[in-house]
Amino acid sequence: MSGAEIIEDFDCFGSRCSAVISGAGEVGSAQDAVAFVKRKLLGWHTRFSRFMADSELSRLNRDPREIVPVSPLMARFAQAVREAGSLSGGLVDATLVREIETAGYDGDLRDSLALASALALAPARRPASAAPARRWQQLEVDRAAGMLVRPAGLQLDSGGLAKGLFADVLGDALATHPSFAINCAGDLLVGGVARTMRPIRVQSPFDGRTLHTFELARTGVATSGIGRRSWLDRGGAPAHHLLDPASGRPAFTGIVQATALAPSALEAEIRAKAAVLSGPHSAPGWLTHGGVIVFDDGSHRVIGPAPVVTLAELARHTRPRPGSAQTIARAAGPAAA
Amino acid sequence: MRRRARRIRRAVVGLAVALFAATFLVVYVQLASGHDPALVANAAKRRAASPSVTSTEASAAESSTATSTRSEASTGSEESSSGASAVTTSQS
Repeated sequence: MSGAEIIEDFDCFGSRCSAVISGAGEVGSAQDAVAFVKRKLLGWHTRFSRFMADSELSRLNRDPREIVPVSPLMARFAQAVREAGSLSGGLVDATLVREIETAGYDGDLRDSLALASALALAPARRPASAAPARRWQQLEVDRAAGMLVRPAGLQLDSGGLAKGLFADVLGDALATHPSFAINCAGDLLVGGVARTMRPIRVQSPFDGRTLHTFELARTGVATSGIGRRSWLDRGGAPAHHLLDPASGRPAFTGIVQATALAPSALEAEIRAKAAVLSGPHSAPGWLTHGGVIVFDDGSHRVIGPAPVVTLAELARHTRPRPGSAQTIARAAGPAAA
Repeated sequence: MRRRARRIRRAVVGLAVALFAATFLVVYVQLASGHDPALVANAAKRRAASPSVTSTEASAAESSTATSTRSEASTGSEESSSGASAVTTSQS
């Protein structure tokens, strides 16, 4: 560890965010860096909120033009929406704004339905699938020109994708600091030049206990699930914010939460959502860098990251070789490095 | 006599090759599945040295904003053996 670790924990995105930074870097001291993270996240919250009428996202969603000038970060977000659709085969679809509003998620949720009650009232479990329309494919982004091209009426939901993107953008800014961890409401990016191993705990959606602790130096992590934002819709049916793109209705697949590790927080977010939506049979296939799956019955399965062996460790078990500190991955997987 | 010697030689060589291949396969599977016995011992030592895991959510949720240095640990963050505070991922 290099220098004191500074921790800032605050409300943002209708949830909790935090920055844990040690040592000085390009942004300044650790204290400067946590202040920078907080300022950026609070600013992005006001620009990307679907619930604020004057946010950049709300203005974009209302804009009747097909070609709309957008900020560089909004252009990156739109590109992330395309990437999410493409990587997940359409399972992670951030264009389902009308559907999520119809399901009842049209404002900040204060009172959430208990997970056990939602599961008891839920319909038969089945995996979600892509919407035939695949509206995300109609998005075209020109980042150099700062323009977004899409059919008028196609709306974007910032949701978890924006949080993953924000963690990655902040991670780029903090790359020269010895050690950092950015938590954007559950989407994490851990890194730093010192490659300090950091414990990453995965919380149970049922009782908040720690289900598993990964210890990694550089990784993106995201947790997605139906445990926190659930409610009863107008018809009295349980609803939540993870929709089956094919039906436009909340998906009950047999998985209540998935945590994914990946090289970036954005990719982790996409993989976590895809794992929840694809159901118990296909979920492990989305967690190629590791993760944790929590099932309806409360049981969970840990999928380990690619194991890492340092040359120093190897040397201890073979012949001592001075100066061998470089880390190698025994199996492919940048998340574990 | 010569034929018998050849037969015995072949049997010995075949047995040796089979024994080597079986041993190699066992070691390969063991290492490839991430269960290197030497590293398991190391991991066990590291686990024993690190502090126990506790949830920080309750204390963190009490105030809307909290800033601290690690030594104060007002957020209840757990440190690893490397000295880095733990972070928690949960549904947002």
